[in-house]
Amino acid sequence: MSQIEVGSIYVADEFFRPKTESAWREAKSDKTQQNRPRVLVVDDQKLIVDTIAEILEGAGFHVMPAYDGWTALEVASRFRPDFLLSDVLMPRMNGMELAIAIRKMHPGARILLFSGQAGISEILHEGKRQGFEFELVAKPIHPLKLIELLKEK
Amino acid sequence: MLHPNLQVGVPSQFLNRELLSGVGCLESGTTRFSTHPSCTGLKPELDRSHLAAIVESFDVPIISKDISGTITSWNKAAVRVFGYGADEIVGQSVLRLIPPELRAEEELIMQKLRAGERIDHHFETVRIKKSGEKFSVSELISPIIDEEGNVIGVSRITRDMSDLKQIDDSRFRLAAIVDSADDAIISKDLNGIVRTWNEGAHRMFGYTPEEMVGQSILKLIPPELQHEEDEILRKLRAGERVDHYETIRVKKDGQRFEVSVTISPIKDETGRVIGASKIARDISDRKRVERLLVQSEKLAATGRMAAAIAHEINNPLESLLNLIYLARQNIDKAGKAHRYLLTAEEELERVAHIARQTLGYYRDDGSPTEVHLHDLIENVLTVYNSKLLAADITLDRRFNDLQKIVVSKGEMLQVFSNIIANSIEAMHEGGTLCISIRKIISSAGDGIQLVVQDNGVGISQDHLPKVFEPFFTTKGNLGTGIGLWVARQLVEGRGGRISIASSTEKGKSGTTVTIFIPFATPAPGIIGQE
Repeated sequence: MSQIEVGSIYVADEFFRPKTESAWREAKSDKTQQNRPRVLVVDDQKLIVDTIAEILEGAGFHVMPAYDGWTALEVASRFRPDFLLSDVLMPRMNGMELAIAIRKMHPGARILLFSGQAGISEILHEGKRQGFEFELVAKPIHPLKLIELLKEK
Repeated sequence: MLHPNLQVGVPSQFLNRELLSGVGCLESGTTRFSTHPSCTGLKPELDRSHLAAIVESFDVPIISKDISGTITSWNKAAVRVFGYGADEIVGQSVLRLIPPELRAEEELIMQKLRAGERIDHHFETVRIKKSGEKFSVSELISPIIDEEGNVIGVSRITRDMSDLKQIDDSRFRLAAIVDSADDAIISKDLNGIVRTWNEGAHRMFGYTPEEMVGQSILKLIPPELQHEEDEILRKLRAGERVDHYETIRVKKDGQRFEVSVTISPIKDETGRVIGASKIARDISDRKRVERLLVQSEKLAATGRMAAAIAHEINNPLESLLNLIYLARQNIDKAGKAHRYLLTAEEELERVAHIARQTLGYYRDDGSPTEVHLHDLIENVLTVYNSKLLAADITLDRRFNDLQKIVVSKGEMLQVFSNIIANSIEAMHEGGTLCISIRKIISSAGDGIQLVVQDNGVGISQDHLPKVFEPFFTTKGNLGTGIGLWVARQLVEGRGGRISIASSTEKGKSGTTVTIFIPFATPAPGIIGQE
């Protein structure tokens, strides 16, 4: 990852953070959300996160969106997700690093990685070397299939 | 120093013709310098001194000795070759010139000569110089006969053969080198007729020298390439070389192979081109490796490009699928717009399918692991279970692969899934899908063989050679034309082989795909890996 890419995403992240925080506060205040499965959705492609969030909300999940790994970690510390759905190739912190951190933080959370490209085997190997392996699905994944996957269990 | 009364027998082949022109009388075999005036046209006394001068100036050592073996004359050439001055050696025994181990031989010769016998042939032997150096000579020994016909001595014309011997030696050495060469080394004349044929040529083309010498070189050239020979001969006549020309030649058994030939003109001492030498090297192995390299480089380049494009395509696709899905949720389900969105979604699924196949998402889905191939097949069959049931297809599993094999699971799943999907589509009216897996032990390396056989509609013979080509499909809009192409890339990338056989004959139609995957994994660097 070049520095330019990291920098540009950082700006985007700062820009969207307030919205994320407010969404989180909203979610917390809503008592009816307490019993729904909580999903943390992470991708540096904002449109993907936002559309998945809306789809999953519609399917009865409580979704917490995040647009990069660091924000996701911060959110996870308060949000206690049942699921993590994360992209793999992201700037600053990749999906594998995030998944490992979340596994340590919330061992009970189910983790699903999704990726739209080849060239991630290095990242997956690195996880394996540290003793971690996670489910991986290919992008694009049809919304109904995604819902089905999250309802398995 | 020459004895003036002697007649000396000089063999004509040793005579310098210029020196003798108009002087001597030449007969075949032994030449007798006659003192007879009618022969030389000179007076006898002049004749003798003249003869002496000739012998003296002769370029080859001419030595005479009496019958006891004492040297009686010694010319200038003898001085030069042996190193002894005439004053040193005249009166000495001839044995000083003969190596001790050859003295018996000398005795034998002398006995013959004393008995009046002639020794007409050249006699190859070894002599010693003053310096002690031994050297090869060819001697011609003739008796010296007086007026009454008595043998009074012997003349020896001793030719230094050491230079010639060396030339001969190097000739033998060259011949040995030519014969031990791996390359075919052939010489031909300017009509393209083979003149020499070495062992390498025998091994390479299969013809023995007896079969080829005297035959036209065209026997080795495929009919459609025979025009090459005209061009080669044209260049040769002009004195040009043909360097490392890569072409095709034919062996005795008709097999064609790739060779690199270098052809050079052979010139005589006047510089006239009299023929050509041709060195041919079998380069079929090198060519095969080159083609493999090119192919794997292409694969590697394609792979890099695919990875880059995959990211740019799959992410927007993910968003699009989500957006259309959301739009459908928020729209009147009975309206036209909903139908449009449904169709759009289906079309997008097709794009996603093609992207996944071409852009090789699976290509590095995890590192290779040890698996039972039948487990992967079971995986694929589970996915296709509903389709198999719907098409009324019976499954016949014959799994005998007791040994695990190291493969990339994702890649093999893709290969098997592409092939089984084809079989299912070929059997839309039902049939039997037979999948057998077994271990193969062969000299080319052990591995697992998987055979997928269906009794579907089959592939026509016209189409069969093209099925592994990219974007070839018989399924119209439904096919991407890359399923088998991708399968082959993945199988060959793993060092394996894939082949297909099919028949469209009514009642016997069906297709068999055979895949062999060796236990040995390909060396890194050769196959599309960075």
